[in-house]
Amino acid sequence: MNEFRAASHRWGRITIGLGILISLAMPLYISFVMGYHPGFSLIINSFLAYAAVVAIVWFLEPIMYFPVLGVSGTYVAFFTGNISNMCLPAVASCQEAVGVEPGTDKGEIVGTLGISAASLVNKIILIPVILAGLWLLTVIPESVQEVFPYVLPAIFGAVLAQFAGKYPIYGVLALIIGILVNMAPIPLFTKNVLCIVLLVCIMLAAGKLKSKKA
Amino acid sequence: MSGMDFANSPVVWIFGSAIVALVIFQAIKFLSLSKKAAREIGMSDSEIKRAVKTGSITAIGPSIGIIIVAVSLISLIGNPLTMMRIGVIGSAPIESMGAQLSAESAGATLAGEGFTPEIFNLVVWTLCIGGAGWMIFTFFATPYLSKIQTKLTSKPKGEYLMSIIASGAMIAVFGSLTGAEMIKGAPYIFTAAVAVISSLTFNYIANKKGINWLKEWSLGFSILISLAAVYFFI
Repeated sequence: MNEFRAASHRWGRITIGLGILISLAMPLYISFVMGYHPGFSLIINSFLAYAAVVAIVWFLEPIMYFPVLGVSGTYVAFFTGNISNMCLPAVASCQEAVGVEPGTDKGEIVGTLGISAASLVNKIILIPVILAGLWLLTVIPESVQEVFPYVLPAIFGAVLAQFAGKYPIYGVLALIIGILVNMAPIPLFTKNVLCIVLLVCIMLAAGKLKSKKA
Repeated sequence: MSGMDFANSPVVWIFGSAIVALVIFQAIKFLSLSKKAAREIGMSDSEIKRAVKTGSITAIGPSIGIIIVAVSLISLIGNPLTMMRIGVIGSAPIESMGAQLSAESAGATLAGEGFTPEIFNLVVWTLCIGGAGWMIFTFFATPYLSKIQTKLTSKPKGEYLMSIIASGAMIAVFGSLTGAEMIKGAPYIFTAAVAVISSLTFNYIANKKGINWLKEWSLGFSILISLAAVYFFI
Protein backbone atom coordinates (compact mmCIF):
# COMPACT_ATOMS: atom_id res chain seq x y z
CA MET A 1 0.00 0.00 0.00
CA ASN A 2 2.86 2.38 0.82
CA GLU A 3 4.38 1.68 -2.56
CA PHE A 4 1.04 2.48 -4.21
CA ARG A 5 0.76 5.77 -2.26
CA ALA A 6 4.29 6.79 -3.26
CA ALA A 7 3.66 5.95 -6.92
CA SER A 8 0.36 7.86 -6.79
CA HIS A 9 2.09 10.95 -5.44
CA ARG A 10 4.82 10.70 -8.05
CA TRP A 11 2.59 10.18 -11.10
CA GLY A 12 -0.17 12.40 -9.78
CA ARG A 13 2.17 15.32 -9.36
CA ILE A 14 3.95 14.73 -12.67
CA THR A 15 0.70 14.69 -14.66
CA ILE A 16 -0.98 17.56 -12.78
CA GLY A 17 2.25 19.58 -12.84
CA LEU A 18 2.45 19.21 -16.62
CA GLY A 19 -1.24 20.10 -16.82
CA ILE A 20 -0.59 23.35 -14.94
CA LEU A 21 2.33 24.17 -17.25
CA ILE A 22 0.26 23.65 -20.40
CA SER A 23 -2.58 25.73 -18.93
CA LEU A 24 -0.19 28.63 -18.35
CA ALA A 25 1.81 28.17 -21.54
CA MET A 26 -1.22 28.43 -23.80
CA PRO A 27 -2.32 32.02 -23.02
CA LEU A 28 1.33 33.12 -22.70
CA TYR A 29 2.11 31.73 -26.15
CA ILE A 30 -0.90 33.38 -27.77
CA SER A 31 -0.09 36.68 -26.05
CA PHE A 32 3.62 36.99 -26.57
CA VAL A 33 4.61 34.68 -29.41
CA MET A 34 1.61 35.28 -31.63
CA GLY A 35 1.05 38.84 -30.40
CA TYR A 36 -2.65 38.69 -29.50
CA HIS A 37 -2.20 40.19 -26.04
CA PRO A 38 -5.38 41.61 -24.48
CA GLY A 39 -3.42 43.59 -21.85
CA PHE A 40 -2.84 42.69 -18.22
CA SER A 41 -5.40 45.07 -16.77
CA LEU A 42 -8.15 43.32 -18.72
CA ILE A 43 -6.81 39.91 -17.77
CA ILE A 44 -6.72 40.80 -14.07
CA ASN A 45 -10.22 42.31 -14.16
CA SER A 46 -11.73 39.35 -15.91
CA PHE A 47 -9.87 36.83 -13.77
CA LEU A 48 -10.99 38.53 -10.55
CA ALA A 49 -14.62 38.50 -11.68
CA TYR A 50 -14.29 34.76 -12.30
CA ALA A 51 -12.27 34.03 -9.16
CA ALA A 52 -14.84 35.81 -7.00
CA VAL A 53 -17.24 33.00 -7.85
CA VAL A 54 -15.00 29.93 -7.81
CA ALA A 55 -11.80 30.65 -5.88
CA ILE A 56 -13.07 29.31 -2.57
CA VAL A 57 -14.03 26.04 -4.25
CA TRP A 58 -10.39 25.45 -5.31
CA PHE A 59 -9.52 24.88 -1.66
CA LEU A 60 -12.73 23.45 -0.27
CA GLU A 61 -13.37 20.68 -2.78
CA PRO A 62 -10.01 18.87 -2.60
CA ILE A 63 -10.18 18.96 1.20
CA MET A 64 -13.78 17.93 1.64
CA TYR A 65 -13.66 15.05 -0.84
CA PHE A 66 -10.28 13.77 0.34
CA PRO A 67 -11.63 11.21 2.84
CA VAL A 68 -13.73 9.72 0.04
CA LEU A 69 -11.23 9.88 -2.83
CA GLY A 70 -7.97 9.20 -1.02
CA VAL A 71 -4.56 10.15 -2.43
CA SER A 72 -4.80 8.44 -5.80
CA GLY A 73 -8.46 9.32 -6.34
CA THR A 74 -7.79 13.00 -5.60
CA TYR A 75 -5.07 13.24 -8.24
CA VAL A 76 -7.26 11.67 -10.90
CA ALA A 77 -10.51 13.44 -9.97
CA PHE A 78 -9.01 16.93 -9.76
CA PHE A 79 -7.45 16.57 -13.18
CA THR A 80 -10.25 14.94 -15.13
CA GLY A 81 -13.03 17.00 -13.50
CA ASN A 82 -16.76 16.20 -13.18
CA ILE A 83 -16.22 15.40 -9.53
CA SER A 84 -19.73 15.42 -8.09
CA ASN A 85 -21.59 14.18 -11.15
CA MET A 86 -19.13 11.46 -12.23
CA CYS A 87 -16.15 10.73 -9.98
CA LEU A 88 -17.98 10.44 -6.66
CA PRO A 89 -20.80 8.32 -8.12
CA ALA A 90 -18.14 6.08 -9.73
CA VAL A 91 -16.41 5.60 -6.37
CA ALA A 92 -19.69 4.91 -4.61
CA SER A 93 -21.01 2.36 -7.08
CA CYS A 94 -17.66 0.54 -7.40
CA GLN A 95 -17.29 0.20 -3.66
CA GLU A 96 -20.86 -1.06 -3.49
CA ALA A 97 -20.38 -3.52 -6.37
CA VAL A 98 -17.18 -4.98 -4.92
CA GLY A 99 -18.41 -4.69 -1.33
CA VAL A 100 -15.67 -2.63 0.32
CA GLU A 101 -15.85 0.18 2.89
CA PRO A 102 -15.09 3.78 1.93
CA GLY A 103 -12.15 5.39 3.72
CA THR A 104 -10.15 2.14 3.90
CA ASP A 105 -7.09 1.14 1.84
CA LYS A 106 -9.07 -1.38 -0.16
CA GLY A 107 -11.82 1.18 -0.65
CA GLU A 108 -9.31 3.66 -2.04
CA ILE A 109 -7.86 1.16 -4.53
CA VAL A 110 -11.30 0.06 -5.73
CA GLY A 111 -12.36 3.71 -6.00
CA THR A 112 -9.29 4.58 -8.06
CA LEU A 113 -9.94 1.67 -10.42
CA GLY A 114 -13.44 3.08 -10.88
CA ILE A 115 -12.49 6.76 -11.32
CA SER A 116 -9.69 5.98 -13.78
CA ALA A 117 -12.03 3.87 -15.88
CA ALA A 118 -14.72 6.56 -15.65
CA SER A 119 -12.25 9.24 -16.72
CA LEU A 120 -11.27 7.21 -19.79
CA VAL A 121 -14.85 6.49 -20.82
CA ASN A 122 -15.72 10.17 -20.32
CA LYS A 123 -13.00 11.27 -22.77
CA ILE A 124 -13.89 8.53 -25.24
CA ILE A 125 -17.49 9.80 -25.32
CA LEU A 126 -16.73 13.52 -25.29
CA ILE A 127 -13.97 13.78 -27.90
CA PRO A 128 -16.08 12.56 -30.84
CA VAL A 129 -18.96 14.70 -29.58
CA ILE A 130 -16.82 17.80 -29.68
CA LEU A 131 -15.41 16.90 -33.08
CA ALA A 132 -18.93 16.40 -34.39
CA GLY A 133 -19.86 19.62 -32.63
CA LEU A 134 -22.82 21.70 -33.62
CA TRP A 135 -24.03 19.12 -36.12
CA LEU A 136 -25.05 16.92 -33.20
CA LEU A 137 -27.63 19.37 -31.85
CA THR A 138 -29.49 19.23 -35.14
CA VAL A 139 -29.71 15.43 -34.93
CA ILE A 140 -30.94 14.98 -31.34
CA PRO A 141 -34.72 15.63 -31.31
CA GLU A 142 -35.76 18.65 -29.29
CA SER A 143 -38.09 16.67 -27.05
CA VAL A 144 -35.15 14.50 -26.00
CA GLN A 145 -32.98 17.55 -25.38
CA GLU A 146 -35.61 18.83 -22.97
CA VAL A 147 -34.82 15.93 -20.65
CA PHE A 148 -31.12 16.83 -20.32
CA PRO A 149 -31.50 19.29 -17.41
CA TYR A 150 -32.89 16.41 -15.36
CA VAL A 151 -29.76 14.29 -15.69
CA LEU A 152 -28.37 15.81 -12.49
CA PRO A 153 -31.29 15.09 -10.11
CA ALA A 154 -31.39 11.57 -11.58
CA ILE A 155 -27.71 10.92 -10.84
CA PHE A 156 -27.76 12.52 -7.41
CA GLY A 157 -30.95 10.77 -6.31
CA ALA A 158 -29.72 7.36 -7.46
CA VAL A 159 -26.38 7.73 -5.65
CA LEU A 160 -28.08 8.94 -2.48
CA ALA A 161 -30.30 5.86 -2.55
CA GLN A 162 -27.26 3.63 -2.80
CA PHE A 163 -26.23 4.81 0.65
CA ALA A 164 -29.74 4.90 1.96
CA GLY A 165 -29.72 1.14 1.44
CA LYS A 166 -26.84 0.81 3.88
CA TYR A 167 -27.76 3.62 6.30
CA PRO A 168 -31.50 4.30 5.77
CA ILE A 169 -31.83 6.82 8.59
CA TYR A 170 -28.80 8.82 7.57
CA GLY A 171 -29.93 8.84 3.94
CA VAL A 172 -33.25 10.43 4.87
CA LEU A 173 -31.55 12.75 7.34
CA ALA A 174 -29.02 13.86 4.70
CA LEU A 175 -31.79 14.71 2.28
CA ILE A 176 -33.69 16.72 4.88
CA ILE A 177 -30.55 18.59 5.92
CA GLY A 178 -29.74 19.07 2.24
CA ILE A 179 -33.10 20.61 1.40
CA LEU A 180 -33.10 22.89 4.46
CA VAL A 181 -29.51 24.07 3.98
CA ASN A 182 -30.07 24.74 0.29
CA MET A 183 -33.16 26.80 1.01
CA ALA A 184 -31.28 28.86 3.58
CA PRO A 185 -29.96 32.21 2.36
CA ILE A 186 -26.25 31.40 2.78
CA PRO A 187 -23.44 31.53 0.19
CA LEU A 188 -23.44 28.62 -2.25
CA PHE A 189 -19.94 27.35 -1.44
CA THR A 190 -20.75 26.90 2.26
CA LYS A 191 -23.73 24.64 1.61
CA ASN A 192 -22.09 21.29 0.89
CA VAL A 193 -19.51 21.83 3.62
CA LEU A 194 -22.19 22.68 6.16
CA CYS A 195 -24.12 19.51 5.26
CA ILE A 196 -20.99 17.37 5.68
CA VAL A 197 -20.12 18.88 9.06
CA LEU A 198 -23.68 18.49 10.37
CA LEU A 199 -24.13 14.90 9.25
CA VAL A 200 -20.69 13.65 10.31
CA CYS A 201 -21.20 15.20 13.76
CA ILE A 202 -24.57 13.50 14.09
CA MET A 203 -23.11 10.16 12.98
CA LEU A 204 -20.20 10.42 15.43
CA ALA A 205 -22.54 11.38 18.28
CA ALA A 206 -24.84 8.48 17.46
CA GLY A 207 -21.86 6.11 17.37
CA LYS A 208 -20.77 7.29 20.83
CA LEU A 209 -24.27 6.82 22.26
CA LYS A 210 -24.40 3.30 20.88
CA SER A 211 -21.02 2.30 22.29
CA LYS A 212 -22.03 3.69 25.70
CA LYS A 213 -25.19 1.61 25.73
CA ALA A 214 -23.26 -1.52 24.74
CA MET B 1 -8.86 37.22 -38.76
CA SER B 2 -11.94 37.08 -36.53
CA GLY B 3 -11.79 35.72 -33.01
CA MET B 4 -13.84 32.72 -34.05
CA ASP B 5 -11.45 31.82 -36.89
CA PHE B 6 -8.61 32.04 -34.45
CA ALA B 7 -10.52 29.93 -31.92
CA ASN B 8 -10.46 27.04 -34.38
CA SER B 9 -6.87 27.54 -35.57
CA PRO B 10 -4.13 24.87 -35.33
CA VAL B 11 -2.35 26.50 -32.37
CA VAL B 12 -5.44 26.19 -30.19
CA TRP B 13 -5.98 22.62 -31.36
CA ILE B 14 -2.40 21.71 -30.42
CA PHE B 15 -2.65 23.02 -26.84
CA GLY B 16 -6.14 21.56 -26.39
CA SER B 17 -5.10 18.13 -27.65
CA ALA B 18 -1.95 18.14 -25.51
CA ILE B 19 -3.84 18.54 -22.26
CA VAL B 20 -6.54 16.02 -23.17
CA ALA B 21 -3.82 13.52 -24.13
CA LEU B 22 -2.26 14.11 -20.72
CA VAL B 23 -5.57 13.41 -18.94
CA ILE B 24 -5.96 10.18 -20.90
CA PHE B 25 -2.39 9.18 -20.09
CA GLN B 26 -3.04 9.83 -16.40
CA ALA B 27 -6.18 7.68 -16.40
CA ILE B 28 -4.32 4.78 -18.03
CA LYS B 29 -1.37 5.16 -15.64
CA PHE B 30 -3.58 5.13 -12.53
CA LEU B 31 -5.59 2.24 -13.88
CA SER B 32 -2.42 0.14 -14.08
CA LEU B 33 -1.09 1.42 -10.73
CA SER B 34 -4.31 0.57 -8.89
CA LYS B 35 -4.60 -2.81 -10.64
CA LYS B 36 -1.14 -3.69 -9.39
CA ALA B 37 -1.95 -2.51 -5.86
CA ALA B 38 -5.22 -4.43 -5.92
CA ARG B 39 -3.42 -7.69 -6.75
CA GLU B 40 -0.88 -7.02 -4.02
CA ILE B 41 -3.54 -6.74 -1.31
CA GLY B 42 -5.08 -9.96 -2.58
CA MET B 43 -8.08 -8.85 -4.62
CA SER B 44 -9.18 -11.34 -7.26
CA ASP B 45 -9.15 -10.56 -10.97
CA SER B 46 -12.92 -10.77 -11.08
CA GLU B 47 -13.20 -8.12 -8.34
CA ILE B 48 -10.82 -5.83 -10.26
CA LYS B 49 -12.78 -6.37 -13.43
CA ARG B 50 -16.02 -5.61 -11.64
CA ALA B 51 -14.66 -2.30 -10.29
CA VAL B 52 -13.40 -1.20 -13.71
CA LYS B 53 -16.64 -2.20 -15.38
CA THR B 54 -18.78 -0.40 -12.81
CA GLY B 55 -16.70 2.77 -13.15
CA SER B 56 -17.02 2.69 -16.93
CA ILE B 57 -20.77 2.20 -16.85
CA THR B 58 -21.22 4.96 -14.28
CA ALA B 59 -19.40 7.44 -16.53
CA ILE B 60 -21.85 7.02 -19.42
CA GLY B 61 -24.80 8.91 -17.92
CA PRO B 62 -22.88 11.98 -16.71
CA SER B 63 -20.87 12.16 -19.95
CA ILE B 64 -24.00 12.27 -22.06
CA GLY B 65 -25.48 14.77 -19.63
CA ILE B 66 -22.81 17.37 -20.37
CA ILE B 67 -23.13 17.07 -24.15
CA ILE B 68 -25.65 19.89 -24.44
CA VAL B 69 -23.56 22.36 -22.44
CA ALA B 70 -20.45 21.23 -24.30
CA VAL B 71 -22.07 21.75 -27.66
CA SER B 72 -23.44 25.14 -26.72
CA LEU B 73 -19.94 26.16 -25.57
CA ILE B 74 -18.59 25.27 -29.02
CA SER B 75 -20.72 27.94 -30.62
CA LEU B 76 -19.25 30.49 -28.19
CA ILE B 77 -15.56 29.63 -27.89
CA GLY B 78 -14.86 27.15 -30.72
CA ASN B 79 -14.15 23.39 -30.71
CA PRO B 80 -10.58 23.02 -29.38
CA LEU B 81 -10.94 25.31 -26.35
CA THR B 82 -14.23 23.57 -25.53
CA MET B 83 -12.47 20.21 -25.72
CA MET B 84 -9.72 21.49 -23.44
CA ARG B 85 -12.08 23.02 -20.87
CA ILE B 86 -14.57 20.13 -20.81
CA GLY B 87 -11.74 17.56 -20.81
CA VAL B 88 -10.12 18.77 -17.58
CA ILE B 89 -11.22 20.05 -14.17
CA GLY B 90 -13.77 22.84 -14.16
CA SER B 91 -17.41 22.21 -14.88
CA ALA B 92 -19.20 23.07 -18.09
CA PRO B 93 -21.60 25.59 -16.51
CA ILE B 94 -18.72 27.35 -14.72
CA GLU B 95 -16.73 27.49 -17.94
CA SER B 96 -19.56 29.12 -19.86
CA MET B 97 -20.00 31.62 -17.05
CA GLY B 98 -16.25 32.36 -17.06
CA ALA B 99 -16.20 32.87 -20.82
CA GLN B 100 -19.21 35.17 -20.62
CA LEU B 101 -17.65 37.21 -17.80
CA SER B 102 -14.37 37.67 -19.70
CA ALA B 103 -16.03 38.86 -22.89
CA GLU B 104 -18.30 41.19 -20.94
CA SER B 105 -15.45 42.73 -18.98
CA ALA B 106 -13.93 43.75 -22.34
CA GLY B 107 -17.25 45.00 -23.68
CA ALA B 108 -17.47 42.26 -26.31
CA THR B 109 -19.89 39.44 -27.06
CA LEU B 110 -18.73 35.84 -27.37
CA ALA B 111 -18.60 34.79 -31.04
CA GLY B 112 -20.20 38.14 -31.91
CA GLU B 113 -19.57 41.89 -31.83
CA GLY B 114 -15.93 42.79 -31.07
CA PHE B 115 -14.82 39.16 -30.61
CA THR B 116 -11.22 39.55 -31.80
CA PRO B 117 -8.34 37.09 -31.32
CA GLU B 118 -7.29 39.26 -28.35
CA ILE B 119 -10.68 38.83 -26.68
CA PHE B 120 -10.56 35.10 -27.38
CA ASN B 121 -7.18 35.02 -25.69
CA LEU B 122 -8.66 36.89 -22.73
CA VAL B 123 -11.14 34.03 -22.38
CA VAL B 124 -8.23 31.57 -22.61
CA TRP B 125 -6.36 33.42 -19.85
CA THR B 126 -9.35 33.43 -17.53
CA LEU B 127 -10.43 29.82 -18.06
CA CYS B 128 -6.91 28.38 -18.01
CA ILE B 129 -5.79 30.12 -14.83
CA GLY B 130 -9.21 29.43 -13.34
CA GLY B 131 -8.99 25.70 -14.00
CA ALA B 132 -5.38 25.63 -12.83
CA GLY B 133 -6.58 26.78 -9.38
CA TRP B 134 -7.78 23.28 -8.46
CA MET B 135 -4.71 21.67 -9.96
CA ILE B 136 -2.29 23.95 -8.13
CA PHE B 137 -3.99 23.34 -4.80
CA THR B 138 -4.13 19.58 -5.43
CA PHE B 139 -0.48 19.57 -6.49
CA PHE B 140 0.71 21.21 -3.27
CA ALA B 141 -1.84 20.09 -0.67
CA THR B 142 -2.38 16.38 -1.38
CA PRO B 143 0.89 15.23 0.28
CA TYR B 144 -0.14 17.10 3.45
CA LEU B 145 -3.70 15.77 3.39
CA SER B 146 -2.20 12.32 2.99
CA LYS B 147 0.00 12.80 6.07
CA ILE B 148 -2.99 13.89 8.15
CA GLN B 149 -4.90 10.82 7.02
CA THR B 150 -2.04 8.48 7.88
CA LYS B 151 -1.75 10.01 11.36
CA LEU B 152 -5.48 9.68 11.91
CA THR B 153 -5.72 6.04 10.82
CA SER B 154 -2.69 4.98 12.86
CA LYS B 155 -4.50 5.90 16.09
CA PRO B 156 -6.75 3.34 17.79
CA LYS B 157 -10.24 3.67 16.35
CA GLY B 158 -8.67 5.70 13.53
CA GLU B 159 -9.86 3.36 10.78
CA TYR B 160 -13.37 3.49 12.20
CA LEU B 161 -13.29 7.28 12.38
CA MET B 162 -12.00 7.60 8.83
CA SER B 163 -14.68 5.30 7.51
CA ILE B 164 -17.44 7.26 9.32
CA ILE B 165 -16.11 10.55 7.96
CA ALA B 166 -15.84 9.16 4.45
CA SER B 167 -19.33 7.65 4.40
CA GLY B 168 -20.82 10.66 6.19
CA ALA B 169 -19.23 13.09 3.74
CA MET B 170 -20.58 11.15 0.78
CA ILE B 171 -24.12 10.82 2.09
CA ALA B 172 -24.17 14.47 3.13
CA VAL B 173 -22.90 15.77 -0.21
CA PHE B 174 -25.44 13.78 -2.17
CA GLY B 175 -28.20 14.77 0.24
CA SER B 176 -27.23 18.37 -0.37
CA LEU B 177 -26.91 18.01 -4.16
CA THR B 178 -30.22 16.17 -4.42
CA GLY B 179 -31.88 18.73 -2.15
CA ALA B 180 -30.57 21.60 -4.26
CA GLU B 181 -32.07 20.01 -7.38
CA MET B 182 -35.38 19.21 -5.73
CA ILE B 183 -36.11 22.78 -4.69
CA LYS B 184 -36.04 23.77 -8.38
CA GLY B 185 -39.57 22.47 -8.98
CA ALA B 186 -41.92 19.57 -9.48
CA PRO B 187 -40.22 17.79 -12.42
CA TYR B 188 -36.94 17.83 -10.47
CA ILE B 189 -38.57 16.32 -7.38
CA PHE B 190 -40.25 13.75 -9.59
CA THR B 191 -36.98 12.78 -11.32
CA ALA B 192 -35.08 12.48 -8.06
CA ALA B 193 -37.87 10.42 -6.48
CA VAL B 194 -37.97 7.98 -9.41
CA ALA B 195 -34.18 7.72 -9.28
CA VAL B 196 -34.22 6.97 -5.54
CA ILE B 197 -36.92 4.31 -5.90
CA SER B 198 -35.35 2.56 -8.90
CA SER B 199 -31.89 2.61 -7.35
CA LEU B 200 -33.24 1.12 -4.10
CA THR B 201 -35.14 -1.53 -6.05
CA PHE B 202 -32.17 -2.55 -8.21
CA ASN B 203 -29.83 -2.78 -5.25
CA TYR B 204 -32.39 -4.74 -3.25
CA ILE B 205 -32.91 -7.28 -6.03
CA ALA B 206 -29.18 -7.50 -6.75
CA ASN B 207 -28.34 -8.17 -3.10
CA LYS B 208 -31.22 -10.53 -2.46
CA LYS B 209 -30.60 -12.70 -5.51
CA GLY B 210 -26.84 -12.14 -5.60
CA ILE B 211 -26.86 -10.77 -9.15
CA ASN B 212 -23.53 -9.01 -9.47
CA TRP B 213 -23.95 -7.57 -12.96
CA LEU B 214 -27.09 -5.81 -11.81
CA LYS B 215 -25.06 -3.97 -9.16
CA GLU B 216 -22.75 -2.71 -11.90
CA TRP B 217 -25.65 -1.42 -13.98
CA SER B 218 -27.87 -0.22 -11.15
CA LEU B 219 -26.81 3.43 -11.36
CA GLY B 220 -26.96 3.53 -15.17
CA PHE B 221 -30.39 1.90 -15.26
CA SER B 222 -31.75 4.19 -12.54
CA ILE B 223 -30.66 7.30 -14.43
CA LEU B 224 -32.17 6.01 -17.66
CA ILE B 225 -35.48 5.07 -16.03
CA SER B 226 -35.87 8.42 -14.27
CA LEU B 227 -35.09 10.31 -17.48
CA ALA B 228 -37.61 8.22 -19.39
CA ALA B 229 -40.17 8.88 -16.66
CA VAL B 230 -39.62 12.64 -16.65
CA TYR B 231 -39.83 12.66 -20.46
CA PHE B 232 -43.48 11.67 -20.10
CA PHE B 233 -44.01 13.82 -17.01
CA ILE B 234 -43.14 17.16 -18.62
